[in-house]
Amino acid sequence: MREFTPAEKEILKRVQGSLPDSPTPYADIAEQVTQLGHAVTEEDVLTLLNGLKDEGVIRRFGATLKHQKAGYGANVMVAWKGASEDEIMRVGPILAESSAVSHCYYRKEAPGWPYHIYSMVHGSTKEQCLETVRELAEKTGLSEYATLFSIKELKKTSMTYF
Amino acid sequence: MDTIDRKILDMIQTGFPITPRPYADIGAEMGITEAEALARVRALKQGKIIRRLGGNFQSKKLGWRSTLCAAKVPEDRIDDFVAEVNRHPGVTHNYLRANEFNIWFTFIGPSWDEVCATLQGITEKTGIEILNLPAEKLFKIKVNFQMENGE
Repeated sequence: MREFTPAEKEILKRVQGSLPDSPTPYADIAEQVTQLGHAVTEEDVLTLLNGLKDEGVIRRFGATLKHQKAGYGANVMVAWKGASEDEIMRVGPILAESSAVSHCYYRKEAPGWPYHIYSMVHGSTKEQCLETVRELAEKTGLSEYATLFSIKELKKTSMTYF
Repeated sequence: MDTIDRKILDMIQTGFPITPRPYADIGAEMGITEAEALARVRALKQGKIIRRLGGNFQSKKLGWRSTLCAAKVPEDRIDDFVAEVNRHPGVTHNYLRANEFNIWFTFIGPSWDEVCATLQGITEKTGIEILNLPAEKLFKIKVNFQMENGE
């Protein structure tokens, strides 16, 4: 596991939300952290962030969009029932290769909930999402699934790790 | 949003430069000045097209554990249940969905034990059972949405 020094944690605190709004965000971060008593240069900030990105600790570095505003009007979470672990492993990649699918996971079933594969399907409208779901059902041969449209966003935030 | 905005979004969703002058680098790529690149990104933030600009950490590589949770909550209990769930900082997404299991949220905690203990605590407080559905396998996570020649 990656352990971080107090200075590194202060840097990471400043990138887990939104970067400083400035032409030189990394120099700004270095200055802020230095003012807290950790001597940190812009170069230190760049080296840390580039390193974590290369290691995959930072999965993605950049802009997170509001999908609706970006023109992706609708999405639906689909929970699919797989007959066996073999089938789940066979169809997972089929769902994943669809460009309309952003996320796809295998999760075990639970009491009263007999589904195993979860995919987020995006489209410009609800109808287009459902059309894609029907195509995916045909392609995979999965006939039992639940379409879980969201009615209301109750919370959406980025995680505070540091 | 014009073509240059869309190209900028395609570039910076995954590859916001980690360099001394990131907007100069974006500008160089787009054929515009640093000042214009910064102004365009600011406008996209103000227009709420960009929700956030920063690092996305892989919780597992930090030693944290995440899960998807679902609960069947009677209509008149939704507000109380959601208030109890949402007060936990590890709950990052929560949606009301059209299903018998109507509340779906994600939870991230510093260890698997803490994840389970927190969910148990919510159940004890609210009397509502929670399905704990950690991922066994990731088939795909795509977080950039192509803006140019829209998909």
